[in-house]
Amino acid sequence: MNHEFLSTDHCLKCNICTASCPVASVTDQFLGPKAVGPQAHRFQHPHYALPDVSEEWCSSCGTCTIVCPHDVPVAEMIAKMKERPHRETPWRDRIISRPEVLGRFAARFAGIVNRLINSSRVRTALDRFLGISSKASFPSIARTSLRKSLRDYYVKSPNRLEEISRLTVGYFHGCSTNYFEPLIGELAVRILEALGLYVFLPPQVCCGLPLQSNGLFDAARKLANENIKYLTPFLREKIPIVGTSPSCMLAFKHDYRSVLGIDTEEANLLANSSYDFFEFILQFVPEDVSRINYNKVTALALYHPPCQLRGHGIGIPALTILRRIPGLHLEVSDLACCGVAGTYGVKSERYQVAYSVGEKLFQQAFALDVDFIISDSETCRWWISKHTELPVYHPLEILARSMGII
Amino acid sequence: MTDILIIGAGLSGLFASILAAKVNADVTLVSAGHGGLSISHGCIDVWSKATPSRSFSRIRKKHPYRIAGKRALDIAIAAFEEITHDASYPFSGSLSRQLFIPTAIGALHCTALAPYSLAHSEITNTTPIAIGSIAGLRDCFPEMLVRNLRANGYAVERSIPLSLPGSEPCRDLYSTDLAYRFDDSSFREQIAQLWKPRLSGIHCLGLPAVLGLRQPHQVFQSFQELLGIKLFEIPTPPPSLPGLRLEKVLFNTAIHFGVNIILGSSATGLIDRSQKLKRVSGIKLHAANSSRHLKARNVILATGGFLHGGLIARRDGSIHESVFNLPLDYSENRPALLAPSIFDEQPYEKHGVRVNSQMQPLDLKGDPVYENLFAAGGIIAGADRQSEGSRQGIDLATAQRAVEAALE
Repeated sequence: MNHEFLSTDHCLKCNICTASCPVASVTDQFLGPKAVGPQAHRFQHPHYALPDVSEEWCSSCGTCTIVCPHDVPVAEMIAKMKERPHRETPWRDRIISRPEVLGRFAARFAGIVNRLINSSRVRTALDRFLGISSKASFPSIARTSLRKSLRDYYVKSPNRLEEISRLTVGYFHGCSTNYFEPLIGELAVRILEALGLYVFLPPQVCCGLPLQSNGLFDAARKLANENIKYLTPFLREKIPIVGTSPSCMLAFKHDYRSVLGIDTEEANLLANSSYDFFEFILQFVPEDVSRINYNKVTALALYHPPCQLRGHGIGIPALTILRRIPGLHLEVSDLACCGVAGTYGVKSERYQVAYSVGEKLFQQAFALDVDFIISDSETCRWWISKHTELPVYHPLEILARSMGII
Repeated sequence: MTDILIIGAGLSGLFASILAAKVNADVTLVSAGHGGLSISHGCIDVWSKATPSRSFSRIRKKHPYRIAGKRALDIAIAAFEEITHDASYPFSGSLSRQLFIPTAIGALHCTALAPYSLAHSEITNTTPIAIGSIAGLRDCFPEMLVRNLRANGYAVERSIPLSLPGSEPCRDLYSTDLAYRFDDSSFREQIAQLWKPRLSGIHCLGLPAVLGLRQPHQVFQSFQELLGIKLFEIPTPPPSLPGLRLEKVLFNTAIHFGVNIILGSSATGLIDRSQKLKRVSGIKLHAANSSRHLKARNVILATGGFLHGGLIARRDGSIHESVFNLPLDYSENRPALLAPSIFDEQPYEKHGVRVNSQMQPLDLKGDPVYENLFAAGGIIAGADRQSEGSRQGIDLATAQRAVEAALE
């Protein structure tokens, strides 16, 4: 997928991408991935922007690249068009694209911040003055961050690792697990340990994907290079990295090189050593996974595999394990995206489109009268929960429940 | 390690995955993207020349139909009808009677099975019909459609321009744009109110195929009831709803039966060199810029022909099979791949891998290349599926045989 200038010519104009695009299907303001991607790409000048701004409607869910049978990097082309140095990026976009800064700040005043973001007056003001939709979902801030509660797991460099014979893995928790959902990180570590692994937290910063989605490529590249710098020493010791957030792991596996254009040996090493949580355990400790003594979890659940997970091109590994849990009746959503796509649905001017994209998922949950919903990505969980008023769990929370860890 | 690994998510790959998963095999399906099904007309063409069951014995010996056998075709068609019936997406037609359905430009397409909304059994060429054209919908050619349908003997009274509620759209509408809206019952009610006054005196109306994607049969029935007249749908150029609907039905059925679907990954074949017998051991997956190995006991190749990525023609005249680099029989005369007219039989269509009755790809001497590798659908040599009108019939029959052989 790196040779995009060649593969533009692989586009047959078959419209498979347009037919699958969640955004184009609900708004005619977006011309569709074929028209905005490969078609417009032929006319793009390296220094001048296209007059058409319809690409701003793209939510960067990546569905077009996944469904394209001819290896045309449609989503990557559109993503790159968002890097427009001469265009003003709204303040709002500069703020919502920095979860780490927001989280670090908010964690100090968790109680107050949580009360404020749930106040309708504050939300109306944010909507009015910043363009952050009052109907969008916000996470609540944890009082204790994951890094604080798992202080002892921090390992700065590979020579500080204990000499052990067990399989060792570095856990990349990402910003949201650290500041908003530390429970998921704690459970991830406990499951990995129960499966016989040695887990540690390597030094890390935000993956940079929110900045990239908002067109702030230089800032995103800076974070990417920092992560590469921190993680490379571990990777050189053949220690893999596992993540519980599919979007961060997609950045490592794919976006650093194919969108941000970081074309180094270290970036390749990171891409080839990064794993989704369920992909990892199925591939590295399949025997231990098959020996898990699953307890019953009696429930009817709707599982929505996020667009960012589909972007990995690894299928839906969590499904393999969820299906082994006795008592759990699963329905699988066939919707390509829940609508929010990271920060897209948070923006006032995009909210309605994002909602329409996810509406069929919400309706499916109501029609089936499910007990809860399962989804791997944090922004999907908050968004779906906000609109269905149902609990939405990470699949590993269900696994932890079945293993008796919670 | 998966029992059966299928490469390709077109009709043959998806169908094979469901057949295998239904008998509790552990199945993984890998595909670079969505298959040819999503740009197809969504019907099952078996043999356009005559009624297939009668002419079967006259088909030449090296044709995929003869290799797979009539029994496989019969079983496959029954299995296909069961799958679509269970998904509430019924098909009309059978192997013993051909259907003729109008195309987007009013030609008549000969097929064996068509979705109910396309092949409404009550519409004959003596039924007086009207054709609706929808404002803003691209690829909608009412004048040509009416003229050609009349020339084909249909009693077309007139075409009726129909509009959509709301302000004018910012761009041409795709058939999928409308289908998503028709999925919504309140939109259907709104449209019925708007269109009803324009349809007085009409008993039967043909519309471009835009009536829903997610539960199309239910949408079709309810909209027909709302309008109070007989409806039928005419497939549009891609994106074509009948193809997309069938694809959705098959994907969802496969997931329901536990098929592990990996989309967006291309594959390179892996050969097991540790054994004396020649076997494949799985594939190397290329996804999101990184590579992973996927081991399998049996592999079914359903990658299609030149148009679908199963075969690659290079400029030097060489032709390659894209996953396992299987031996192919071809001449390096590149111009000879194409016939002078697009409507002629195309020599390139007949290229592909030769198989035995177990659907195992054969080397140039006629021996199976790998003991545990099977092929299905358009990758198999010996048929001009376009001019024969046999594309989907071959997909189903060879997938049926390949799954039987792989499970043995």
